[in-house]
Amino acid sequence: MKPFQYIRPESLEEAGAYLASERSVKLLGGGNTLLLQLKSGEESPDILLDIKHLPGFKDVRYHHNQGLKLGAAVNLQHLVMGLEIRRHYPLLHQTAQKLASPQIRNRATIGGTLAWASPVSELAAPMLCYDAVCHTWSPRGRREIPLAEFYLGDFKTALADDEIITHVHLPAFPNRTYGVYLRQTVRHDGRRMIAAAAVLAYRKQQALTHWRVAVLGVDNRPKRIPEAEAVLEGTPGEDDVQQALHIVQENIHPEDTDYARADYRRVALNALVRQGVMQVIQQLQSMRS
Amino acid sequence: MKHEIKVNINGQLRELTVLSHQTLLEVIREDLGLTGAKYGCSTGECGACSVLMNGEVVNSCMVLAPEADGATIITVEGLSDDEELHPLQKSFIDHHGVQCGYCAPGMLISAKALLNRTSRPHEEEIREALVGNLCRCGAYADIIKSIQVASRARR
Amino acid sequence: MVTRKTHIIGKPFPLVEAQKKLTGVSCYAGDEPFGPELLHARILFSERGHARFRLLHVDAARKQEGVVALITGQELRARLGAVIEDREMLAAEEVLYAGQPLAVVAAESPEAAMAALSTIEVVYEDLPGVYDLEDALAADAPLVHPNMASYRGFEQLNPQPERNLAHRIAFQRGDVDKALSEAAFVLERTYSAAPLQHAPLETHGGVAQLGEQGELTLWLHVQAPFLQRQVIARALKMPPHNLRIVTQCVGGSFGSKVAVSVEGLLAAIAREAGGRPVRLHLTREEEFRAVFMTPAMRARVTMGMDENGRITAIRAVYDWNVGASVDPFIVEMQRIALAGTGPYAIPNADIQVNAVYTHLLPAAPMRGLSIAQVHWAVEQHVDELAEMAARSPLGLRQQNLVKGGDQLFPEFVMHANGLESCILETSRAIGWDPAQQRIQTGTTARGKGVAMGWSPIIVFPHCKSRATIQCDGENLCTVIVDGVDVGQGYYAFITQLIAFELNFPMEWITVLPTDTDKYEPDWQAIHHNLLWSTGRALLQATAELKRQILSYVSEIWEEPVTNLDIVDGEVISYATRRRLSVLKLLQEGTGEDSPPVFRATGVYEAPDREGGLGSLLQSFATTGYAAEVVVNLETGDLSVLQLAGAADVGHAINPEGVKAQLKGGIIQSISQTLLEEMRFENGVPVTIDFMSYPIATTADMPQQIHPIVVEIPQSTGPYGARDLSDHVLVGASAAIGNAVYRATGVRIRELPITAQRIYDALQSQAAKVER
Repeated sequence: MKPFQYIRPESLEEAGAYLASERSVKLLGGGNTLLLQLKSGEESPDILLDIKHLPGFKDVRYHHNQGLKLGAAVNLQHLVMGLEIRRHYPLLHQTAQKLASPQIRNRATIGGTLAWASPVSELAAPMLCYDAVCHTWSPRGRREIPLAEFYLGDFKTALADDEIITHVHLPAFPNRTYGVYLRQTVRHDGRRMIAAAAVLAYRKQQALTHWRVAVLGVDNRPKRIPEAEAVLEGTPGEDDVQQALHIVQENIHPEDTDYARADYRRVALNALVRQGVMQVIQQLQSMRS
Repeated sequence: MKHEIKVNINGQLRELTVLSHQTLLEVIREDLGLTGAKYGCSTGECGACSVLMNGEVVNSCMVLAPEADGATIITVEGLSDDEELHPLQKSFIDHHGVQCGYCAPGMLISAKALLNRTSRPHEEEIREALVGNLCRCGAYADIIKSIQVASRARR
Repeated sequence: MVTRKTHIIGKPFPLVEAQKKLTGVSCYAGDEPFGPELLHARILFSERGHARFRLLHVDAARKQEGVVALITGQELRARLGAVIEDREMLAAEEVLYAGQPLAVVAAESPEAAMAALSTIEVVYEDLPGVYDLEDALAADAPLVHPNMASYRGFEQLNPQPERNLAHRIAFQRGDVDKALSEAAFVLERTYSAAPLQHAPLETHGGVAQLGEQGELTLWLHVQAPFLQRQVIARALKMPPHNLRIVTQCVGGSFGSKVAVSVEGLLAAIAREAGGRPVRLHLTREEEFRAVFMTPAMRARVTMGMDENGRITAIRAVYDWNVGASVDPFIVEMQRIALAGTGPYAIPNADIQVNAVYTHLLPAAPMRGLSIAQVHWAVEQHVDELAEMAARSPLGLRQQNLVKGGDQLFPEFVMHANGLESCILETSRAIGWDPAQQRIQTGTTARGKGVAMGWSPIIVFPHCKSRATIQCDGENLCTVIVDGVDVGQGYYAFITQLIAFELNFPMEWITVLPTDTDKYEPDWQAIHHNLLWSTGRALLQATAELKRQILSYVSEIWEEPVTNLDIVDGEVISYATRRRLSVLKLLQEGTGEDSPPVFRATGVYEAPDREGGLGSLLQSFATTGYAAEVVVNLETGDLSVLQLAGAADVGHAINPEGVKAQLKGGIIQSISQTLLEEMRFENGVPVTIDFMSYPIATTADMPQQIHPIVVEIPQSTGPYGARDLSDHVLVGASAAIGNAVYRATGVRIRELPITAQRIYDALQSQAAKVER
């Protein structure tokens, strides 16, 4: 690694000053991506800002009306262990349990993981289903970016070069929320992903059931398929499900990789989405009776 | 760039001078002379460098040395005292948890982290806890058994 | 009174080295504590498969800060090879494979070493390269080694140099063409296996230091120190006795630390380092790019069977892509030929084993793999043959398997073996039901498959194995052997044997790291045969040692030696009931003379045997496997639910150790059958880390693993035992392949079995049905 200056800023303003300076700066969260880039020489910044100790960055706050606030430096292992996650955002818990390894989860941060806009970023799938919003800070002020608008494709995000994610907010979801995360990978720990799908449905009192479908590995970014979600709205019958699957296929752009062809990824995703929708329908129906 | 850091390593408070671009693994092996944590891949894939940092298992090859300032680190050398082996170590010996042995320190650390959280883990929980530790000899079944037996014989 | 039967042999026993490894005591590559004098070596590797090249700015690199020595192929012309010297230690003008070393540097720090190497510019002039079997064997293919005939050792080869065929071994018996023409059923198929990587968790490395008298000491983490000494000494034109190799702990080898890889360069650079110790420790990426691969296999198999279910003929051609050097792999080829029919008594056989040169990384054998890949072909072939003739897979195997007394080679009569037990017990363990092998629920289907295997144990004439035991007051009982424990339980076996034979407590016995200075530079025992060869040597040594101890005490006590024995670490007299602790004897003596030192060496030397291929055979290890898989018929995604593996070990000296080896083999088989594949682009590996080359994790374990120990005693082995660890994988991949067939109706003949391959095969089949 080329030498750099390691700094633990004590405030956002301090961090902002470095970001605004002439020198090249990278933000250090869990380091799972950045350290690889530093070791390979792909990145050689002058300054590394360790954002894990910024005030409020490790906050976790849940309120049944307001939803969940996760500080950007909260680690992924918290999504596995946190009681409020298990109770109120079970799809997030379910996904996090399968993600990488304990070593990686203990270091990976929410902010850093979401900001690494890989098309197979597993955290993005349940976060998209839960309508996550990224809250950011830059020297120009604060703003909110819904995750659904965050991924621009090809590893690019809506973040400016000097913008830092401070926390992620998930709105409150009703008790009747059911979700499932399914994936097909070459190795069973998740490596070499072929495709993945997160499917969620929720129902507020007397209202229609709303759906979320998020897919991975089949486009240049993690994404939801809103047109398919619209078709599923309510309690979908067999035809609706078929139509939704068809819409999903029309809205993805998989690519060939050395271990999975594009056409094969379509097949894999189709099976996963169908299985996911059926499982959620089953859960909806069993709670009804 | 140099940093003066304070680390609690296996119960001992140490003051170290480290470089910003050193990894925690390098510090542990080269500066502290503790060779239990191993170099296996340098990309956070194999777990041979696993240590406990503030009670959580991490790949020390993926932690920068200055990040460890103020941290409590436990390596495999910190598992046993001078008198006796840790029940996990004894169990790995008794139940063939060691073949070539290169993955063993990392496995012990992951096991310790698990047992700190869950006193009687099921086999599935143990498998999940070890998913980040590669064993090329394929000794997983016996490693899991060693951990199960040790969990029943806690101090 | 202790009886032999109950005491030690057959009882579970922990690995001796385990405690050291579990407490982090330093002993692996990179652990060596050599202080601030230590220099760091790095190697510049070729990035092209086949090219002429020049190095620029080499002098500037030499002058860089912190550089102590730098060697290129211009300064050092050295060739490596145990059998044939078809590798240059450093390429001089032409590179033959990506990953070939071009320069080696020793510097004060790894960073200084890397900085020096990055100063060097490599100018390549690409040449046409051949990378796969088809291209290499094509009529107008460029030759990888056009000057083969000039290499030392060339006369040992059976090549076709004009066709990139480095070496060929073949044998025939009977008349295959006639038998095939008369057969009721004939089946011809082609199978393949991708190249793999050994990927030991400890990468290659070690330390070397030149001494004051010009002697070179290497602290290496290798499986074959005597072989390495011989090859490196010859390459560097040093007398072997000037080169000393001391082994340390080996963090896995699986066959990659036998032939010399980067160790020769470490020795070479250490000679230029002014007497300072030099350490080399490859990065994981270098390990993937520049050490060894395992050879890709193509197997073309034809079998004939009569109406009564008797397999009458086999013709099998096994082609292996050995990369740019055949030397590391050549030692495996006789075993492949001997195993090539599969474990069947087939009267007419024509087996050909070919090693093909390409411009790829050299191939080295991997623990059991090539024989396992032979069985990938043969055992799926037999399964398909069984179906053609409407016979049961178990039944057909039972009918045709090779039995004790069968004479398959002029010089070798098959011994009693465990094939039938292995296959029956494994199939029973997974709940094999002849009537119902496929269970479908919606879009998923489960299926079961069986396979069996044999693996030849050969001994080259005159190869020697030695063991020396010394008992003294300071170190108690220390043992020197010429093999190395790479995690297979070798040291545990040695300790058990000595403890048993001498009736000593096991804690008294220490196996010392192998040190080539202790023995003459002979070719040492083959690694898959260690138990046999070291065992024989140890039995001699312990017998002699016991004789010395009893003889010494008989003089003191003035009793006939026939009265005496050793029990629980004490010499006792059955006549007078006197007892003397051996420990006391060693530490204090008897008061009159100084304490005695007892020392004995046992030697096993393989006899001279004239004859063909079969004359090398000592015995066969036999195995059986049964697998259950579940497959998603829509996507081809599969999981192995159960895998049962059985091995006949003759007599289980360490039954839990045997099971540990079996379980390890089961996991390695899953990894190699489903997950692993080396890929190249223009001869350059693109699988260069554990992300692109995933090996099995705990998440890939089958739900159930059944290790089964079968014991059909080997009369000539120590305590009736036979070697296991090198043979343990044979049959697993075929059992999984057969299970996939039963679940899906499609047969995958290429390794690895992937979901996409199953999907494609199902699609093809559906398309055929439609037409």
